[in-house]
Amino acid sequence: MNGRLLDNALRLIGLTMIGTIICFLLTPIVVTVIMAFDARAYLGPLPPPALSFRWFEQFFSDDYFLRGLKTSVLLAVLSVSISVSVGVATAVAVERADFAGKEMLISLFLSPLLVPPVVTGFALLLFLSHLGLIDGFARLFCGHIIITAPYTIRATLAGLAGIDRSLTEAALSLGANERRAFWDVTFPLARTSIVSGAIFAFAVSMDDVAVSIMLTDANTYTLPVALISSMRANFDLSIAAASVMLMLVTLGLILILEKFVGLNRVIGEGVFRS
Amino acid sequence: MKPGRGSLPLLLPAGAVFLGFFFLPMAGLFIESFRLYVPGSIGSAADAPFTLNNYAELLTPSFAGFFLETLRISVLASLAGLIFSFPLAYWITRRFSARWRMIAVGLFVTLMFLSVLVRTYALELTFGAVGPLRPLLLSLGISPNGRTYIEILVGAGLLHYIVPVATLTLLGTIQNVDPRLFDAAQALGAPGWKAHLNITLPLCMRGLLAAFLFAFTFSISAFVIPMILGKGRVLFISNLIYNRFSEIADYPSGAAISMVLFFVALSIVYVTSQQVAKRWTS
Repeated sequence: MNGRLLDNALRLIGLTMIGTIICFLLTPIVVTVIMAFDARAYLGPLPPPALSFRWFEQFFSDDYFLRGLKTSVLLAVLSVSISVSVGVATAVAVERADFAGKEMLISLFLSPLLVPPVVTGFALLLFLSHLGLIDGFARLFCGHIIITAPYTIRATLAGLAGIDRSLTEAALSLGANERRAFWDVTFPLARTSIVSGAIFAFAVSMDDVAVSIMLTDANTYTLPVALISSMRANFDLSIAAASVMLMLVTLGLILILEKFVGLNRVIGEGVFRS
Repeated sequence: MKPGRGSLPLLLPAGAVFLGFFFLPMAGLFIESFRLYVPGSIGSAADAPFTLNNYAELLTPSFAGFFLETLRISVLASLAGLIFSFPLAYWITRRFSARWRMIAVGLFVTLMFLSVLVRTYALELTFGAVGPLRPLLLSLGISPNGRTYIEILVGAGLLHYIVPVATLTLLGTIQNVDPRLFDAAQALGAPGWKAHLNITLPLCMRGLLAAFLFAFTFSISAFVIPMILGKGRVLFISNLIYNRFSEIADYPSGAAISMVLFFVALSIVYVTSQQVAKRWTS
């Protein structure tokens, strides 16, 4: 009898915790979205008396943010293309190769994920300035390649590992050369994994602060770095407007991920679901 | 087909990228951490003598305090993350219909992907010193600029990322635990709490450790969250490295702190994964 009582108490505690944590996760997002449309010129109590797009207009009339946005998008597109190419080439080579130390090589390629990003950025900054490379965009480009490449390598490796080798062998025995077998058989089968790696890489590049803040120069900075410095200066609601737009970018990436890869693959199919 | 040799040139681009942008810079950072720094200059001189001062300095109470604070808040936030994520993941796996489970997964993946800036700004806007909660906090006698509140806010910032990731990790784990084991324990007379304690939790240990490991390594290298939510009162090791670089240009000291942070992160990953491999291999 006592056990039942304890069970019910525990269930109640569990449900309260679930409710609390969901509120905690969602409230800030709801508040930010509402505040972004606040018509007042100052930070007042909720709910706002009137709604407007003034903070969005302010964001788009601010040169400081727009330059950051331009750099961020250009940087993300360029560094992700490089990372995806490097990632696919590396994963294919590692997958085909059969030598001792293969696991070791994979861990080396994934090791930037273990290093705190500030450390990566700082190391790169010192190294590049020793080489005399001080152009902001070039430095950021190097930094973004190294923080995104592990994601594309890992995703492509996972995709290649799921492909039955006999398919490639069949293509080879039917007369295709290795290049042809790769482009006609392996690549299409690995495509979903490559896409998911690219999406991760894009999100990482667009979101990074810790590496980028080390590598910016006075004229070249990314949007997150611009937002961070104005966040510290004053609590302007055009950052809320920017946040709403970044949320839309995130949603867009999730929808692409769902369409091309399927969110279930992100967590894996379990055996015992209710 | 003879695998191997022919595809080795494919490793060249990655080799160049990783060597040039990662391994050589890390080696350079290691060397820099032993250079003597002359106050007032920018970084160390090219021929500066080697010294252990940069590391010795880290043993002083003020520096050690930053490390301890980072570790303390990180451990607490990671544990809180597990405590909240486990019931959540359990509930989603066992009670939700397939349709609702998909919606929940979609929600948590979105929360995981959410930009750290958006997360931090939203938390500051909601719970910060000028946010809509201010009157409530003041009426409860909590000062939104007090040190304890700021520490909790930094922890909350970490939690906002840890919970979605840990929940997704644990969803995968709990899905692989056969619910019939729990039913059997109950049928044999164990109350639900005991069955969970003796059956469900031990079977989820691997997932819990993996989630903790991820949460903890994420937390100790956090940068933006303590930078904004900590308001300069709570500094994590990452912020300290950045300050050494941006405020006083003491690169050797920044390099030494970086090395220590790097080795702390690495050894946590190593020790935890060794433990996981040793105890839960089957």
